[in-house]
Amino acid sequence: MSKAYGWTGEILRVDLTRGEISTVDTMEYVPDFIGGIGIASRIAWEELSPGVDAFDPENMLFVMVGPLTGTMASGGGRVEVMGIAPQQYPSVFSRSGMGGHWGPELKYAGYDGVIVQGKSEKPVYIWINNKQVEIMDADKIWGRGTYGTTKTLRAIHGSRTRVISCGQAGERLSRIAVIQTETGNAAGQGGFGAVMGSKNLKAIAVRGTLGVKIARSKEFFDLCINASREGARPSEGRRRVRPPNQSFNRIDERGSTFRRRKCGFCMSQCAYRVRENMQSSDGLTAPSVAQQCWGYMGNSPTVDPVARAITSDYGLNGWEITYGIIPWLQICKQHGLIDKIDGMDIPVPDEPIKYLKDTAPYSSEFIHMLINKIAFREDELGDALADGGCYAADRLFDGEGIKHLDRIYPRRCGQTEHWAGHWGPGGAVYWPWWLPPVLQWCIDTRDPANDSTHQWTEHVQPYMPVSGPHRGPYSMEKVRAVCEKVYGHPEICNPEYEYDPPELKAIPAIWHSHRGMVVNSMILCDREHSRVFSSETEDGMADTALMSRLFSTCTGYDLTEDDVNLAGERIWNQLRAIDIRNFGRNRVVDESTLSGFMYPGKDDGVILDREKFLKILDKYYELSGWNVKNGYPERKKLEELGLSDIADELEKCP
Amino acid sequence: MEAAKPDIDNNTVKPQKLRRSGVIEVNLDFCMTCRECEVSCSLFHEDECNPDLSRIRIAYDDFKPDTTSITVCKQCDWPACYFACASLWDDPAVCVDEKTGARFIDPDKCRGCGACLKACPLTPENSVIGQKRIDGKRIYFKCDLCYNRSEGPVCVDVCPGGALRFILAEERKK
Repeated sequence: MSKAYGWTGEILRVDLTRGEISTVDTMEYVPDFIGGIGIASRIAWEELSPGVDAFDPENMLFVMVGPLTGTMASGGGRVEVMGIAPQQYPSVFSRSGMGGHWGPELKYAGYDGVIVQGKSEKPVYIWINNKQVEIMDADKIWGRGTYGTTKTLRAIHGSRTRVISCGQAGERLSRIAVIQTETGNAAGQGGFGAVMGSKNLKAIAVRGTLGVKIARSKEFFDLCINASREGARPSEGRRRVRPPNQSFNRIDERGSTFRRRKCGFCMSQCAYRVRENMQSSDGLTAPSVAQQCWGYMGNSPTVDPVARAITSDYGLNGWEITYGIIPWLQICKQHGLIDKIDGMDIPVPDEPIKYLKDTAPYSSEFIHMLINKIAFREDELGDALADGGCYAADRLFDGEGIKHLDRIYPRRCGQTEHWAGHWGPGGAVYWPWWLPPVLQWCIDTRDPANDSTHQWTEHVQPYMPVSGPHRGPYSMEKVRAVCEKVYGHPEICNPEYEYDPPELKAIPAIWHSHRGMVVNSMILCDREHSRVFSSETEDGMADTALMSRLFSTCTGYDLTEDDVNLAGERIWNQLRAIDIRNFGRNRVVDESTLSGFMYPGKDDGVILDREKFLKILDKYYELSGWNVKNGYPERKKLEELGLSDIADELEKCP
Repeated sequence: MEAAKPDIDNNTVKPQKLRRSGVIEVNLDFCMTCRECEVSCSLFHEDECNPDLSRIRIAYDDFKPDTTSITVCKQCDWPACYFACASLWDDPAVCVDEKTGARFIDPDKCRGCGACLKACPLTPENSVIGQKRIDGKRIYFKCDLCYNRSEGPVCVDVCPGGALRFILAEERKK
């Protein structure tokens, strides 16, 4: 193995069936596949055969970091998890990310990722300490919550040990089980906690002091320290230092203290709020993350934040419970399918629920009861709901609840609509700006607002000259100039164009998906990358080449912005190919996603015109170099990307 | 100003008036425990990203409130590390920077004896003096207030919470 900068040079592979530990040479996959999901999807393409399902021992669990993880580059605290995801309906190969401090620790322990395959006979955990790896007996922690697991492993391996684990939900193969870190961050969507559970793998604990070598350290340092730290919205501007703020270390009416925490090794303007003295199910004091995104705060401000701590402790996906399961139960009650759970009324609003914002608030008792039911699969209802709304609907109420899913879920993904202008979680997205996100939903294997959509809805949309009632800070002329430079088309952000011409919506959908792949391979954070506009430059354009320059100075491989974009496209096509070969993905499946979007948009009341939208989909395939009839990548495109082996195999697919 | 050298007379070290140093002031309430300071410090000084080679250390327990701690050199008015080194060696490795007053260890001169670490009043729980090995040789390192960087200490520059502040020697309270 040559001396690696950025990467550590080795990916750990643990076969739990045989109890074997080996390594994969990272350098065989770089720079073409960068790291993170790029390398993971490459290995999955090579090794994951069709017919394998989420809970089969043959499923592979990738927990990956990238060349920029654990470096000074902002967003370098993230981890990407890949594997066949049980939450998806049906299960497909997908991904989920998390922040926190675990990723950098793995990097410092000497690995660019961990691949877990097979299934252990008895519960185990993996202990990684500066390139020393052991598969350890998990007797003491099996059956415990994620907080208890973390505390126990820290008592054994030292207080600076970082732990990811699955809770009781993951052990019971709940399709909405998460992989939880000690800090409250979790790989939430996809149900990867259950994949851990299915392998009898309770936790992965790491400790490392090896550091990350940087190829051109001076240049890299200057880049990092001078990179924009502006907030997502134009009005936020550049804030080097946060002004003293009430929400730091405040004591609230419940007597808990607030604290602001950040993921590891990031200087962006983003932090989550922690309430510090919450009780977990084990009676332990636990940090409770109450970031505004979720935490039973969104539409139910009265609810006890302890619910948030319990959810994380059991290792459940609170997003799905709050924005999917509870609203669905409320809608079902409005249609007379269910009334009470364990004698407790399901709260419903007076008016029919159309959007998330219409749902009724619920009490602490209700949410605690429901979480316990779901985590331990109590009786028929809890057992069904433990697999998420989409799977539960098949088993409950004689299937009568299935038709009510479409308001909430683009069902194929098994995840609630998000940032695409319809159901509700996420902010306002006005017509016609939700067309690219809907397009991304159609193509992706999951909720795309983890890497691709956020860039468009949170970074680009605020700069649009016209976005619903909002007016961006820049003139149309200035915006056109930026769009011309970034997207190669000046009218991308021009509100005069709706469905036609179709490329105006297809181009940004593709551009941001490719960038999303790069972000998740480096691995950086989609709250930081890639920006298109900036409030700090004269021409209003952000530094879109930042990722390629960070990569080049960090690793010593000189990639231009175009090279990096191409790598993103390569990874995107590779994921598509896995989906086609292993799970029968095609255009019909893509179009089926639309069933979750065929009602008036929540912010504008506009209803999607299916026929016109399909023209945009045509354009998406055409511009991607994919076959318009079946949505398969064409040989020409794959060869351009250096993926001729994929072209050979795809030709065998029906 | 030349670095003051203590008189060694009858085995007693007489403290001499040293130039006062600037210092990094800490406000724990604003620390968001991202540890960007650690990783930027190690990159600036050691050309690699490694919190274990950082001159500033963040520690906290996720499961206990109010356990955040930031450990960074206090740049003492009477730097025990400096006198310990100077009393042992003719050409001491612990030096005082003329401009900022920073007490720092010159890696080329460090013999690895560890006298500075033993002398440091913050040792051992909160040691601000670390050690590393270069070609098998042990070298000690500590915060130098990035005296050779015109913009001042790196950690202060990167801190997104504003928990760190650089105080010049002249502005430092007694």
